[in-house]
Amino acid sequence: MPTLVSVFDRPGDVVTVLTKLKKRGFDDIETYTPAPFPEIDDALDAKPSLVRVFTLIGCLTGVVTGFAMEIWMSLDWPIKIAGKAFVSLPAYVVIGFELTILFGGLLTFVGMLLTGGLYPKFTLDKHYSPRFSAEEFGVVVSCGERDVTEVDALLRAQSAKEVTLVE
Amino acid sequence: MTPPATAAPAMSPNAVPQDSQANVDILSVITRGTSWPWFALLGLALLGVGQAMATLAYQTYVGLGVAGYQAPVFWAVYIVLFVFWIGIGHAGTLISAILFLFRARWRNAINRSAEAMTVFAVLTAALFPLIHIGRLWKFYFLIPYPNQRGLWVNFKSPLVWDVFAVNTYMTISIVFFFVGLIPDFAIARDRTTGVRKFVYTILALGWQGKSSQWKAHNRTVLHLSGLATPLVLSVHSVISWDFAMSIVPGWHTTIFAPYFVAGAVFGGFAMVLVVMIPVRRIYGLEEYITDYHLENMSRFILLTSLICGYAYAMEYSIAWYSGVEFEQTSFWLRAFGPYWFSTWCMIIFNAVLPQLLWFKKLRTNVPFLFVLCVFINIGMWFERYVIIITSLSREYIPAAWGLYIPSMAELSILAGSFCWFSMFFLLFLKGGPIIAIYEIKELIIHEKAHGGAH
Repeated sequence: MPTLVSVFDRPGDVVTVLTKLKKRGFDDIETYTPAPFPEIDDALDAKPSLVRVFTLIGCLTGVVTGFAMEIWMSLDWPIKIAGKAFVSLPAYVVIGFELTILFGGLLTFVGMLLTGGLYPKFTLDKHYSPRFSAEEFGVVVSCGERDVTEVDALLRAQSAKEVTLVE
Repeated sequence: MTPPATAAPAMSPNAVPQDSQANVDILSVITRGTSWPWFALLGLALLGVGQAMATLAYQTYVGLGVAGYQAPVFWAVYIVLFVFWIGIGHAGTLISAILFLFRARWRNAINRSAEAMTVFAVLTAALFPLIHIGRLWKFYFLIPYPNQRGLWVNFKSPLVWDVFAVNTYMTISIVFFFVGLIPDFAIARDRTTGVRKFVYTILALGWQGKSSQWKAHNRTVLHLSGLATPLVLSVHSVISWDFAMSIVPGWHTTIFAPYFVAGAVFGGFAMVLVVMIPVRRIYGLEEYITDYHLENMSRFILLTSLICGYAYAMEYSIAWYSGVEFEQTSFWLRAFGPYWFSTWCMIIFNAVLPQLLWFKKLRTNVPFLFVLCVFINIGMWFERYVIIITSLSREYIPAAWGLYIPSMAELSILAGSFCWFSMFFLLFLKGGPIIAIYEIKELIIHEKAHGGAH
């Protein structure tokens, strides 16, 4: 499958080109950007990141774990302290809260690793270049043999600095 | 069909025709040859850590008596240092999380170094409960774990809350710090060779700036900020409750939580400036950490100084207004008793001197800021000293009063804690990008795209 590797200077151009490519039905696109540009990520895939699900699950697990642990442990070995009830919920809020944050934060991190496909890699994508960790934007489009001219024209029309056809 | 190809030399790896100036400037801190002053400073720091470890070994062997603990003062310099270092950390979280949520763009230049400081300060602080308990090998008693005696920790005790708060804070700060570093590790990976490249390749976790990666990253930073914001407020509140939940005069007040949080941010910002002013000068990063950033930081210092000053005044006025003799005596003795020196240091350095920042001339005067921030740090250290020592040494019955003087062991560990912190910071200077490159680049690219000559 032919792949076109194009280089851009401005995030706005990348957004436009992505919108146009998607409209024409070219879906096999990968972008490499030097900094976060949410507009580019949304142009490529409008769905919000799944990380939020991980955060929610983590926070809920944390708050339940915190309170359950405190209540169970206090009842498992009941000692009267300062005349308070064995289970004193107001005093337990602190640890319940801290575990909410702890579990939520850790699971958010796990969510980032999973949804972003992040793990130590010694071979990077074939079309990735250190230019894209400088200040340039890479848009890599794979398309059918007969669409190459169209995609190429589309990329160049949106002021692509370079377009390279690979294989 | 003609392939629309140009030759493809530019795509070969490790060929970066026009590298970003930001990459070059910021990575040069890591890659340029290490100078002898750096080694000298690191050596000094290691020496300081070494002598503190020797002291700790001696103290562990002989007992806490060498720490100057005697009735009625059993919380002393180690607890002061614990509160001090945790407080230092708070500025980093404030800058990286709270200012992120407020979309304060100027934070981009300073957030990395501030976050690094947070992590190192918390790593320093976390040692002190252990040093303070004396019997190091029993620290795990603090953690609820199943044991054959069927004992559990007392969840109504603020000291147990503290264990959870500090450990959560440490974990989340480290995660937050690492998440921010991933894209910058990738930048470093693409521009280094040999062992460095190998290490950065592992740390960068295969980061390539793909859309899916940024999407996950943005979400994660947003959520971690959202979680860290209430966390940072809770941590120093919980630490203040270590004191406020007791009935010791001078401790038992409701103002403690906000007072501690404001003080923490105040001292932390001052520490960020103390560290960053020399770093930006030595490594020529003035273009990134500009005088504008320093001025913004000093405005924050002024604001939090006002809150601290207000809290000091409020403590005294409530002690007087309460009509409780013990409170009144406690506060009278703070200002005019045996510890008057620390009290006036705290008031003058934290509430009076920072008022000079109302003048723009002084706010933008970098050497002045540096000196002022050193004084603020001393003042904040004394604030904790005053709160802890004066209150404990002068409790209810005059017959039980005592006088506490820091011992050599405590001073040795005090010096060691600063060296421990500096050691981490010096190592980080050579190991990770000291400024968040990708966030700086975001600004640069936006500026380029929207006209504006760069």
